[in-house]
Amino acid sequence: MSGETGQYDRRTVLQAAGATGALGVAGLAGCIGSTDDDGGDGGGNGGADFDTVQLGILEPFTGDFAALAEERNNGETLAVDEINQSDEFDFEFETEEYDTQLSPEDGVQAAQSAIQDDGAGFITGAISSSVALSINEVAGNQEVVYTPGAADVSITGSNCNEYVFRFETNTAQIAEVMTQWMVDNLGDKIHYQIADYAYGDSVREEVDRRMQNLSDSYEEVGFTSSAQGATNFESVLTQIEDNVDAADALVVGATGGHLIRFLAQAAGRDLGNQIPIVTTTGSFSVVRGGAGTAGYNGEIYSGTRYVPGIETGDNRAFVEAYQNEYDSAPDNFSRVGYESVYTIATGIQEAGSRDPTVVRETLSGLSRETIFGEVTFRECDQQATNPVWMAQNVAPDQGEVADVELLTKLEGEEAIPACDAVGCGL
Amino acid sequence: MVEALVQQLLDGLTVGMVYALLASGLSVIFGVMNVINFAHGELFGLGAYFALAVVSPLGGVGFYLALLVAPLIVGGIGVLIERFTVRPLYDRNPLYHILLTFGLVLIISDLVILVWGPEPTSLSRPEFITGTFDALGGSFSRYAVFMIVFGSIVTAGVWAVLNYTRYGLIVRAGAQDRRMVRNLGIDIDQYYSLVFGAGAALAAVAGIVIAGRGQVTPGLGSAFIIPAFVIVVLGGLGSFKGAVLGGIGVGVLQESVIKPDFPAIDGFTLVPALPQFDGMIIFILMIGVLVLRPRGLFGSEFNEESGQLLVGADRSLLTDRQRQFLGVGTVGLLALLPLASGSLLEPSTVEFLMIRILIWGLFALSLDFIMGYAGLVSLGHVLFWGLGSYTAGTVLTNATESVLVAAAVALAVGTAVAYVVGYLSIRVSGVYFAMITLGFAELYHNLVIDIDGWIQDGWLHTVLTAVPGVDSAMLVDFELTGGSEGLFGFSTFYGVGDIGVHLDGIAVYLGPVTLTDRLLLYYIILSVLVGSFFILRRILNAPFGAVLKGIRENETRVQFLGYDPTVYKRRAFVISGMFATLAGVLSALSNPFVSPGAAEWLKSGEVIIMVVLGGLGTLFGPLIGAFVFFGLEEIIQDGVVFDSLRGLLTLVGLSGVADTIPDFTRRWRLVLGTVFVLFVLFLPSGLVSVPAKLEPYLPDRFRPTRATPAEQPTARGDD
Repeated sequence: MSGETGQYDRRTVLQAAGATGALGVAGLAGCIGSTDDDGGDGGGNGGADFDTVQLGILEPFTGDFAALAEERNNGETLAVDEINQSDEFDFEFETEEYDTQLSPEDGVQAAQSAIQDDGAGFITGAISSSVALSINEVAGNQEVVYTPGAADVSITGSNCNEYVFRFETNTAQIAEVMTQWMVDNLGDKIHYQIADYAYGDSVREEVDRRMQNLSDSYEEVGFTSSAQGATNFESVLTQIEDNVDAADALVVGATGGHLIRFLAQAAGRDLGNQIPIVTTTGSFSVVRGGAGTAGYNGEIYSGTRYVPGIETGDNRAFVEAYQNEYDSAPDNFSRVGYESVYTIATGIQEAGSRDPTVVRETLSGLSRETIFGEVTFRECDQQATNPVWMAQNVAPDQGEVADVELLTKLEGEEAIPACDAVGCGL
Repeated sequence: MVEALVQQLLDGLTVGMVYALLASGLSVIFGVMNVINFAHGELFGLGAYFALAVVSPLGGVGFYLALLVAPLIVGGIGVLIERFTVRPLYDRNPLYHILLTFGLVLIISDLVILVWGPEPTSLSRPEFITGTFDALGGSFSRYAVFMIVFGSIVTAGVWAVLNYTRYGLIVRAGAQDRRMVRNLGIDIDQYYSLVFGAGAALAAVAGIVIAGRGQVTPGLGSAFIIPAFVIVVLGGLGSFKGAVLGGIGVGVLQESVIKPDFPAIDGFTLVPALPQFDGMIIFILMIGVLVLRPRGLFGSEFNEESGQLLVGADRSLLTDRQRQFLGVGTVGLLALLPLASGSLLEPSTVEFLMIRILIWGLFALSLDFIMGYAGLVSLGHVLFWGLGSYTAGTVLTNATESVLVAAAVALAVGTAVAYVVGYLSIRVSGVYFAMITLGFAELYHNLVIDIDGWIQDGWLHTVLTAVPGVDSAMLVDFELTGGSEGLFGFSTFYGVGDIGVHLDGIAVYLGPVTLTDRLLLYYIILSVLVGSFFILRRILNAPFGAVLKGIRENETRVQFLGYDPTVYKRRAFVISGMFATLAGVLSALSNPFVSPGAAEWLKSGEVIIMVVLGGLGTLFGPLIGAFVFFGLEEIIQDGVVFDSLRGLLTLVGLSGVADTIPDFTRRWRLVLGTVFVLFVLFLPSGLVSVPAKLEPYLPDRFRPTRATPAEQPTARGDD
């Protein structure tokens, strides 16, 4: 289901409209015509005025993801400020922020407002997968470059389109490092505890498929799930406890508040000392902050997309700049926001144009230096080849928020699934 | 084995206890004061935040202190809320409390973010109630036991107060029959503040207990408010016993029986697929109980005072001719809007905002048909919106891209469901009707998320593969609703077979203006709305409409005249359901995707607000309501108002004051909530009543010459 970007796109229509209007087919009597009878490619966004580029920032500033939106926005703002002051870029960004809230409807309205009212040819943002997927559609239809923040595999998989470039590390990449490390270090008998929605399902699916490939003796010894908004985990904890002898590890497919609540209640039952808990997002600072001491009660591991302490690429400079600006260390969402803006800027600079179509062509397959070192947006799905880590949450030297200790790193090329396995038709 | 059973029972009791604390406060508030308090969940969250404020400086031990202090503070806030916002509404229908407390939800939740920030935090606990202890050969969580013991003590205390004090006696009597208490010479109104405060304090206790186990985060209360309402209704409104037993019963059923698929003895389970219905059981239970016992398990048999439903335009400033003129003018103006798109108006204003307003206008119109004309307050109207969106989306994705076919199928499904839901729901009345419809809507919301999983590898998979000719491989990738993500990227063809158009494939050239794609869609939606308006108006002007209005005014009298109100209400419900389904279809067409948000109960709340905002019982009121609702949201988010205010203050030399005005663009809910609260307090009959309110201040020559109000029918529609 890639975006419908067929011959009837909006831009052609508007160009046709302009052309027709100019010909003076006036008069009040309307006439109806087909929109593909004009082949000319009008001015579009390309060409002369290259000084400023309109960038739309779409984040869930209100609602449950507000805290994450702030983090992302900090990263975006920092990147925009740096780019606007830098001599490396021949243009300046003009930005406008829009609140996507938590619903796809509001997300689409925000995106349209950015594109149509404010003339943004480039948009970035969104954290929830359903909002990002709906903006994907808009970006494809309206032909603007979009750099989403959600981790759902299908954004650069079955729902991909040629205008979407993702710097966020997706669930498939995280699952790769988790499974390799688990088979080597914990074993292959797994109990799954899944948040019952797209994200949790995809964690189970990705981990399960890889475990089957990695180990002949792999076995799913138990499965429990909780609703997305679940607040109570006592009964699933009881079921997990029944399985601690048979299972080598507990894989938790959850994020945000759901994961925090699960970890807090698991700590109440001392689960981490009965079975290693392997999470996909347990190293996020928002999760560690929310879980407090429960974030490192027993053995809690996490597939890790980013921690500020990594020594790759120009990460150190980024962390310093971020700390100077905001008095706190950046987290995963800040770096995604930061690099998403830099991705767009690099594309524009390399293309020498602010026409989204030209920039899109330039970005596809482009390699650039990032906080992770050199990263490529693969031509086949336009997903960034980010490296991934396995990490453990450990007791902090002071305070109650867990520290993250990196255990192993998997290079980007090894973590990303093969092109023929992602289901994107680019 | 014993420890496993004890553990399972503990799991259920911990949740049950929280439900009981939350629901008992809610139930007593409703029973005594007839207030549907949606803000109860926010008070619950406030309890957790005030506890955080106490615990943070003091550490774990502060937790005990917090259990005392935070409920007192929240109780105090409850008293203030009752005094200043709830009290003026006592004579009115509980409907107005929905709008009021909905506004309070927006205000409190944004204030929490302003004060404590959006990040989740944890609440530390004393050592004594942290970790596990060993007993009966197993190891159990100390905090779980604490929750149960503490919850029981509080509940027992409240029960004792209600049963053994004069105060309790009056409150209980008030819950059964307020009028009788008043007739006995007791000023029950004086007790209201205390009841509201005590209910809020109970909510706060529940909030602290929950926060101690998990996290403190904005929106903590929203996860609990719906189950709490369901339990209140299950137990019977106003019944403390019902709320406590209902809460514990639901907790145990959900956590000790259904989730672990109890009794999980090898080879035998109660119902094999039961855990797959996890989120739905509570609603199925409520619907079942209400169908058998329309007043809940322990509800009193006394008639509730429903209070006055303030219908919008009982007196109109305009003559019929002027109204007609105004109506035609408005439609004309709406029809001209797209011509200004891109020049006078920003493109997204017409193509997105206005389209959204028109669709919601239709949705609000459909709700008003039963709410304003038949007096049925449905909290589950989103069911039909969801049905329309999803049926259209599924047909467009899987079968044909013909919009006409999709709309026809959706309308057929919507009508059938409306009949069944109407049949089961109309037998209960008032708040019970609101809750049973909410139950159906929530069932549907769960269904759209779960059904794909059921088909791909759940119980439906087992059932379907038993059908000859269906093999497993066919079902594994089957997508009916797209689960929690929804359906994306279907295209729409306006026509049947080969005859028709793709909207993005044609353009209408009107001189310098070109209408394409979404501007054409705008016209389609506008015509559907205008068409629906006239159909509904025709129905209301027919004898059928007269009977409906009669039911709203006095159901018994209508019955005496020989009409069966149930039949009329059911028919009205089906008609309303059809138009709501149509709104859902339009919404799927306007965004080429459908997501579970299309069936979220919040939409039901929002549409009620629009109807009340615009004016109940008038057909154009809901349209105005939708316009104002989204318009306000847009204006506040845009920041124009506050920017200009700041600019103005700076201009007159008050830049210091200007700087103190916070950036409201991100806290627009706070402003919107405040508007709702002020609105319900000062303009209860809706925006359509504004002209009549202004009438006394008009110079004589502008006043319409017409009969005195006494000779007017008491409840006019807009006709």
